Amino acid sequence: MTPFLSVLASVVAWVGTMLAVASVAIVGPARLREAWSGLRARLWDARRAVAVLCAVLLASAIGRSSLQSVSELFGLQATALIYGLEGGFVAWVQATFALPALTAYFSWVYVYGYAFLLAFPVVAYLALPRTATLRRVLVAYALNYAIGLALYTAVFAYGPRNVMPDMVTPLLFTNQPDVMLLATEVNVNTNVFPSLHTSLSVTVGTFAVLTREEYPLWTPVAVPLSLSVVVATMYLGIHWLTDVVAGFALAFGSVALAYRLVDPRSDAAEPSGDADGECPGSGTGADD
Amino acid sequence: MTRPISRRAALAGFGLAAASAGCLGRTENIAGRDPHSQLTLEINTTPADDDPNGIRIARQLEEHLTAVGIDVRLNTVGQTDLWRKVLINQNFDIYVGQFVETEPFDPDALYGLTHSKFIAESGWQNPFGLTEIAVDDLLDRQRRVAGDERADAVDALQETLCDRQPFSVVAFPDALTAVRRNRFEGWTEGRQPLSVTGLLELDAVAPDDGSGGDTDSGDGGSGTDGNATTGNVTTGNAMTGDTGDADDGDGADTDDGGGDVLRLVTTDDRITENWNPIAAEYRKYGTFTGLLYDPLVRADGESVVPWLAADWERVDDDAVDVSLRDARWHDGEPVTASDVAFTYEFLRDTSLGNVETPVPTPRFRGRSSLVEDERVLDDATVRLTVPDVNETAVSRALQAPILPEHVWSERTDAATIAGFEFDFETTEAVVSNNPDPVGSGPLRFVEATAGESVVFERNPDHFLGRPASDDAEAAEETTDPRGGIPSRYHGKPAFDRLRIEVLPSDISAVESVAEGLADATASNLGPASVPRIGRSDDARLVSGRSAAFYHVGYNVRRSPLSNPRFRAVIARLIDKSAVVEDAFNGYAKAATSPLAASADAVPESLTWTGETDPVHPFFDDGGSLDVAAARAELRDIGYRFDDEGRLLSRGQ
Repeated sequence: MTPFLSVLASVVAWVGTMLAVASVAIVGPARLREAWSGLRARLWDARRAVAVLCAVLLASAIGRSSLQSVSELFGLQATALIYGLEGGFVAWVQATFALPALTAYFSWVYVYGYAFLLAFPVVAYLALPRTATLRRVLVAYALNYAIGLALYTAVFAYGPRNVMPDMVTPLLFTNQPDVMLLATEVNVNTNVFPSLHTSLSVTVGTFAVLTREEYPLWTPVAVPLSLSVVVATMYLGIHWLTDVVAGFALAFGSVALAYRLVDPRSDAAEPSGDADGECPGSGTGADD
Repeated sequence: MTRPISRRAALAGFGLAAASAGCLGRTENIAGRDPHSQLTLEINTTPADDDPNGIRIARQLEEHLTAVGIDVRLNTVGQTDLWRKVLINQNFDIYVGQFVETEPFDPDALYGLTHSKFIAESGWQNPFGLTEIAVDDLLDRQRRVAGDERADAVDALQETLCDRQPFSVVAFPDALTAVRRNRFEGWTEGRQPLSVTGLLELDAVAPDDGSGGDTDSGDGGSGTDGNATTGNVTTGNAMTGDTGDADDGDGADTDDGGGDVLRLVTTDDRITENWNPIAAEYRKYGTFTGLLYDPLVRADGESVVPWLAADWERVDDDAVDVSLRDARWHDGEPVTASDVAFTYEFLRDTSLGNVETPVPTPRFRGRSSLVEDERVLDDATVRLTVPDVNETAVSRALQAPILPEHVWSERTDAATIAGFEFDFETTEAVVSNNPDPVGSGPLRFVEATAGESVVFERNPDHFLGRPASDDAEAAEETTDPRGGIPSRYHGKPAFDRLRIEVLPSDISAVESVAEGLADATASNLGPASVPRIGRSDDARLVSGRSAAFYHVGYNVRRSPLSNPRFRAVIARLIDKSAVVEDAFNGYAKAATSPLAASADAVPESLTWTGETDPVHPFFDDGGSLDVAAARAELRDIGYRFDDEGRLLSRGQ
């Protein structure tokens, strides 16, 4: 389909450009060159984390539609619950802050900024001599997706734009209907709890804070950007505040768990394939 | 803070003292009473992506119910789930939805909707659970009598229903459709891609590139045209209707918008996964299954035309003979009188006796239940036992889809999951998705991708496309295979293929038409999408009145919704004028009677004249809800509030 492909192409173009610029500015040419030469060894070193993430993504791609049916039939019907809990908070956000410029910004952030935010850490942490952070990020992504998918199945709820169309304008889809085609390719309108946009962005933001000594320039970019994505999910009428809160919890939980699961000691030496992989449960929370 | 709790705390504190003081009996008398609690009601409707309007009605009702002190749970569920909940499981308090007929319908449609004889059944027959003798009597009467007497009975029926209020009619929406110019013509008020007749009446636009010369030469011409022209130029072969096998040419392979493909877009994905004409939760108006399956008789505006039946006549006080046209099922088998006999028996009990209690059809039940017995007289004639009712009722009874016995007789066993029988009291026929549907209608199934798209093609064997031989037409009408069918349906449909694509929202549906990727939208459009139609030169808005009224349905099996006075108060909490103005942007008409779209059916007492409902006027206080008046009314009819203004009820 033409509109779908055009929107996909523009996402690829935006993210590609931003990645190139950010790699040079934040990682630096020297590190990039070094990373390039050691790329294979580092990937090999992180193979388990890569495999876990790929497995989760694959399972999500294959199983999503059938899990969706399961959710529809047996999931907790939570729309009324969430709406009863927070009422018109999202409507209030829109009514208070909606401006054409902000709408344009948040629409951009929700689609392009978010994609960039997820992609850049992979590049940046691949450029680090030690792969512990890279592996942790990949494992944290995998945990986000896996737990998110489980919660999507367990909870069946529609977002605020579907419940309060009189008060919440679906700003993103009204302004960029093509994006909706992309959005429905990746997501279903009943997958709102928790907000994976929030949890993945906050995951990246948390890692940016934890690795601020490695990439001092990345932290001030990543944190505002990830918080923008968080606000965008509500501003655009896609997620409830409840989803966002759950997204934060999922993010922090995933980061903590990733630190528990990934053993930093295994790559104490330079990555040359000697690493023994991770031993789950050992070596908690040691900072880089 | 609340009385029951403080009282309970006091009881706990004083319990021992009270017991020792010897007044245990009195304490028991108090503690043994259940405390009152706030009334909770759940409103079910579909999310905005599925239908942009229903949720707005539900939101207004939610706001007003909350204001008078009711705890409201507003629940959004998908279209299939909503009807499963309401029609199949009857597990709901209140729902907001649309009626299932988009063309103006006869008052007899209320028979299935409200007669108490269907109380134990699931489906579109009496989903509210209404049991009113006065309503039953009038429903039966309007079937028996004719002429002015029937008109009087219909008037009285509407007044009684309006008084009992098993559902509150809110508004009749305008059927809004975004249509691509220069593809098909005939999109007018009554001819939209929403109903069977609307789709059949469409004409292809004559080509303007000079290829019109071979319009009448039939399949050869269309084949070359279709291959040579791509994009938006249509070939004109279907114009005259004399090209019965036009789809030999371009129809089979051009799926990309060229040729005679009618491309519709919808937000409703049910038709991409289920083609069962009797599956209530999967059908909206039943338009596309209505094109797959022919009924004996079809409603055409205010008249009825013989369809699969060549003719029918009452031969006796309790018998109607139906003679069939020469027709074939999509798999090549002939349509016979025994298929018709089978269908009516099957609709009465889809298990044909295989399950202990009959499992009647969840759709078409009100009308088809009129047929009590059936006898095959010969291959093309069947005698139906129909009691002494008026002609209208008879013709409605003949408007159920005729199903092929050789397919559906296999589906009469109790439904099973993985071979295990559960106590679902339903049959395979009711729960089947009916893959590769075999009907006899003007369209036949080609292919589908669940959740994405479905393709139908013109049935070249259908009698609409079968011209009468020249001599016979002049000489004797009975040999005309299309006898009795208005000429505007001859040679139709005007497209070789019908492709329906599912899109995520009304806005993307309109965009798709504006960009030339589709010819028309087939699902409801909300106010946000309508202005977009004007932004494209090639798209236009077609608006007509739909009979599929929006209503608030009550489960009258449940207290306090079982109280007609309580329902009347809820009806007065609905500001219909505001709904029409805000939710529908004026593209709707507020109404009181469910028959407001049917010709000359509404009595003066129920005619919507001014700003407000003639029977259940909104508690209006300068445009907003008069909460005090609403509460006073509730007190008047016996309801009570606690000191925080919450409406109390016995534990539900």
